[in-house]
Amino acid sequence: MTRTKRHRIVFFDLRRIGMPVGAVTSILHRITGILLAAGVPWAVYLLDLSLGSSQSYLRAVALLDHWAVRGAAILMAWALAHHAFAGVRHLLADIDVGSRLQAARRSAWLVNLGAVAVTILVARVLL
Amino acid sequence: MRHALSGLNAWLVQRLSAVYSLLFIVYLSLHFLLEPPGSYEQWQQWMRQPLVSTASLIFFGALSLHMWVGLRDVVLDYVHSPGLRVCLLASVAIGLAAMAAWTARILLG
Amino acid sequence: MRLSIFRFDPDRDRKPYMQDYELVPEPSERMLLDVLVRLKTVDDSLTFRRSCREGVCGSDAMNINGRNGLACITPVSGLKEPVELRPLPSFPVIRDLVVDMSQFFKQYHSIRPYLINDEPEPDKERVQSPEERAQLDGLYECILCACCTSQCPSSWWNPEKFVGPAGLLQAYRFIVDSRDRAGAQRLDDLNDPFRLFRCRTIMNCTEVCPRGLSPSRAIEKIRLMMVKASL
Repeated sequence: MTRTKRHRIVFFDLRRIGMPVGAVTSILHRITGILLAAGVPWAVYLLDLSLGSSQSYLRAVALLDHWAVRGAAILMAWALAHHAFAGVRHLLADIDVGSRLQAARRSAWLVNLGAVAVTILVARVLL
Repeated sequence: MRHALSGLNAWLVQRLSAVYSLLFIVYLSLHFLLEPPGSYEQWQQWMRQPLVSTASLIFFGALSLHMWVGLRDVVLDYVHSPGLRVCLLASVAIGLAAMAAWTARILLG
Repeated sequence: MRLSIFRFDPDRDRKPYMQDYELVPEPSERMLLDVLVRLKTVDDSLTFRRSCREGVCGSDAMNINGRNGLACITPVSGLKEPVELRPLPSFPVIRDLVVDMSQFFKQYHSIRPYLINDEPEPDKERVQSPEERAQLDGLYECILCACCTSQCPSSWWNPEKFVGPAGLLQAYRFIVDSRDRAGAQRLDDLNDPFRLFRCRTIMNCTEVCPRGLSPSRAIEKIRLMMVKASL
């Protein structure tokens, strides 16, 4: 046992292991989920400001005008779009819609590109 | 109650909260696109409608549960030291409970 | 044809390295395994498993240009060169392309891959209708080559706790078998945070299965059966 432990060699180089499109969709689903989780407290803070008083409402509006906040909002728009599209893809797969390989590959592309398309639209509105 | 919030139940909670959150976000986005609030009074009036504030409250509840299952999955996948795992899960749980309390105070206050 | 092959001899090497080979395949050497067998006549230290050489035994599973597959049914034509061959990802390497499958088989055995039926045995056999038998199509064909499990991220992170796609495909195979009586226990056994629910439906398993099977769909169906059973 110690011998095998000492010599425990494993091939595990993520750069050399192929990532099919579904795997890309999936890891982005996770990354966008973490991004959104990090963004939620800020959104709640904005909600708090916006409902507090008319002064704090104006502060929230002014904050949303700041370029950095707008940049973050665009990032969040991408994260939300990807997370939601990938989520719908999973929900459909749960009830056996599009869970065969060919359909799943196509829907994975659709999710990845659709989220980018939504982000471009949001960016054009916000910038 | 071996499976209180693990296995199948966690998975069901994740799915159901996802569906509700998605519908709510679509509804909210449509509202902002079609009749964006122009002033504090307008915005506050809209948010203080019983239907909207109840729906928002449920949304933040669903969101907290959804975040719990998702972040728990991230921790279970990548963090293997039992001590660190428990610490992280506990801080996620405390953070989410605090956030839920905060949103409840905003929406009911 | 150029190949770059993962080499590691535990008695001689401290670290694995990639060794380059070059040869001209004979017209008869159409599959990757044919080329490997010839390479072994040139360099007999090159180590890999193979047996049936026709995609039935599952011995020669390896990572071919980043993707798990069986060398014996991978045509040489169409492979990007140099062809990079590595052992199955995340499995302990014994030597060169040979990996230790203990963990994989442990997970397979954990789902009790045999019929459980305490009812009195009939005189001849437990009969299945053609429809009942058809339920097993797309499941029983699994040859346990481990291509799927070794390409599955959920198995990478929790190999001891997550059953993995191959084991779960077989779990489903016994759950839907009309002769089996342990369906409810089988479902219950999989209902914890790890054994089945680490699956995130990434579908790498279905992508690489050399038999064209779909462990990800089997897992989805088990989940739906659990939902139905819990109602």
